[in-house]
Amino acid sequence: MTTLTRQDLNFGQVVADILCEFLEVAIHLILYVREVYPSGIFQKRKKYNVPVQMSCHPELNQYIQDTLYCIKPLIEKNDAEKVVVVIMDKEHHPVERFVFEISQPTLLSISSDTLLSHVEQLLRAFILKISVCDAVLNNNPPGCSFSVLVHTRDAATRNMEKVQVIKDFPWIVADEQEVHMQEPRLIPLKTMTSDIVKMQLYVEERAQKT
Amino acid sequence: MDELYLDNIDEYVNDHNKIVTYKWLSLTLGVHVNTAKQMLFHYLDHKRKESSAQLHATYLVSGKSVDKGQTSHKVSVVREEQLEDCKSKMSLIVSVHVYSVQKALLKDSGPLYSVDYDAVKDNLKDCSRYSAIRCADAVPMSSLELQQVREPQRAPTPEPEPKKTATNGDVANGTSKPAAKQQKGIMGMFATKAAPKNQDADKEVKTEQKEDAPVVDAPKSKPAAKTNPMTNFFGTQTAKKPEKSVKQEEAAQSSSTAEQQRQSSKPEEKPKAAAVEAPKTSKKDSSKTKRIEDSDSEDEIMEKKKRRRIKKPEPDSSDEDIIPDSPQQMETKEKSPSPKKKKEAEPVSHTHQSHSDIKTRKRRRVMKSRTFLDEEGCMVTEKGYESESYSETEDDFKPTKPALKDPVPAKLSLSSKQDEKKSQKKTSANANKGSKQASIVGFFQKK
Repeated sequence: MTTLTRQDLNFGQVVADILCEFLEVAIHLILYVREVYPSGIFQKRKKYNVPVQMSCHPELNQYIQDTLYCIKPLIEKNDAEKVVVVIMDKEHHPVERFVFEISQPTLLSISSDTLLSHVEQLLRAFILKISVCDAVLNNNPPGCSFSVLVHTRDAATRNMEKVQVIKDFPWIVADEQEVHMQEPRLIPLKTMTSDIVKMQLYVEERAQKT
Repeated sequence: MDELYLDNIDEYVNDHNKIVTYKWLSLTLGVHVNTAKQMLFHYLDHKRKESSAQLHATYLVSGKSVDKGQTSHKVSVVREEQLEDCKSKMSLIVSVHVYSVQKALLKDSGPLYSVDYDAVKDNLKDCSRYSAIRCADAVPMSSLELQQVREPQRAPTPEPEPKKTATNGDVANGTSKPAAKQQKGIMGMFATKAAPKNQDADKEVKTEQKEDAPVVDAPKSKPAAKTNPMTNFFGTQTAKKPEKSVKQEEAAQSSSTAEQQRQSSKPEEKPKAAAVEAPKTSKKDSSKTKRIEDSDSEDEIMEKKKRRRIKKPEPDSSDEDIIPDSPQQMETKEKSPSPKKKKEAEPVSHTHQSHSDIKTRKRRRVMKSRTFLDEEGCMVTEKGYESESYSETEDDFKPTKPALKDPVPAKLSLSSKQDEKKSQKKTSANANKGSKQASIVGFFQKK
């Protein structure tokens, strides 16, 4: 058993990498399952030894990758509290919000042998849960779009500016309109606890979608 | 059959919102698969009569179908809506049963696989415990039988490695049946081809087959073990090594396709390199094994076979013995002298970018001890092999520029890279001291 601290940035990077990879797969899967984009652009690929649907559209992929590239430093320093995938209707009112609450323990103690395969198993369960979330959610109206919001602790956005300049991918403070949803219903999907990260996924859904 | 199972399935489907496949159900409840299928059918029937919740089901249809005059046995998983359609297309229906029950309408079949993945993984040794498919002849081979099958293939190859077969035999005990069968296929391929030239083709085919092999490391290591130089890695090294040897093998494959002229000499070079390395690997110095990995990853980048041989970890004189040997042997293997010289010069010139004097400089691995401060502020002395450039005319005491190795840094070894840079500064500082001391001693000796 090794005890590592947050100062051990190498380990923080590993955790951030794992989470960002997972978030990329999860976002693609959410777009597929909630039919935000036509299913024709999606292609079956393999992740965590199970088939997942990923999009082939280059601009969409680039957008998602740039988004996660900017989020990664926040996760490394444990500044990101929530990563939210918001699905909005034509008038840009949020219809559904998939909230990933992430927290990392400050003192990490790991027994490295089975850690990664255990984490992989937990992430696989998340993927599976997203695939069946159809059952508990109402259908979305046509013509939806999506965006990604990040809730950070304190004033961590200062760190983001450095990354933004490099990538030329500006982030702005979200409008009240995008953050607030009328009459939300909370539907929990999955929770996971492991040595390196704790994550919770739930969906906030607007009671009346159309 | 008591009715509790209906409540169980209800709980899984409605409360947990799970996809319940018959395979998962049989492993979870510990019943035969046919029982699980019947349970699902009854549950579906029951719920449909109540017409309470909306349930979706998928079915497995298996039968003979005639396609353009050709009869084939077709097995497919279909949604309920397509069931009748599928049944009508078949000429003879062998079996139809419920595959899964779930609340959500599945858009694609991916989740059906994910559901079974973890359940099967947990029961890997006896996942067919409740299965209806049986074959009395299909049993895993014992280690003795495996050894017997392997012995004839070892005969044509130059290196006898009895120790390795014992290790691999032990590993084999833990493998599943399909892995053993695939192994037989690979070994059967080796039995027929004995010529060393064909070994390369075998290696290439083997790497392809290896990719098809199951994910478990043990069967992967067995095909890799077939290659002669690779066998050296398995007796003494940890499980990490199979992955490294896979990398090496792929490197060998890629380099062999790139340099077609040198293919014939490759198997001969490899056994030599491996023979040289064998005594070294037995020492099991952790920093040294790291060096081997670093040098191998470097080789992938550079794709020079000759380079790999020169950079093998060897102290001092034995290295010099090997280097003159190899050019001779390469000459005997119908290599024209000009490409050989080019190969010698090329790797040397590549590393000594700063040196203008190309022809007389060579590289060797020297055991050096590095002293550095680690995170806690303690002085740590580590012995390790470092590549050092030297020329035949130079004195040992003179500080030569140790060319910076470029290990592909693993994420967790960034600190070690910094340490290496620090230590290299220190070795040059030490070498400076060495030269000073030499002059001081010389001063006293003059008296």
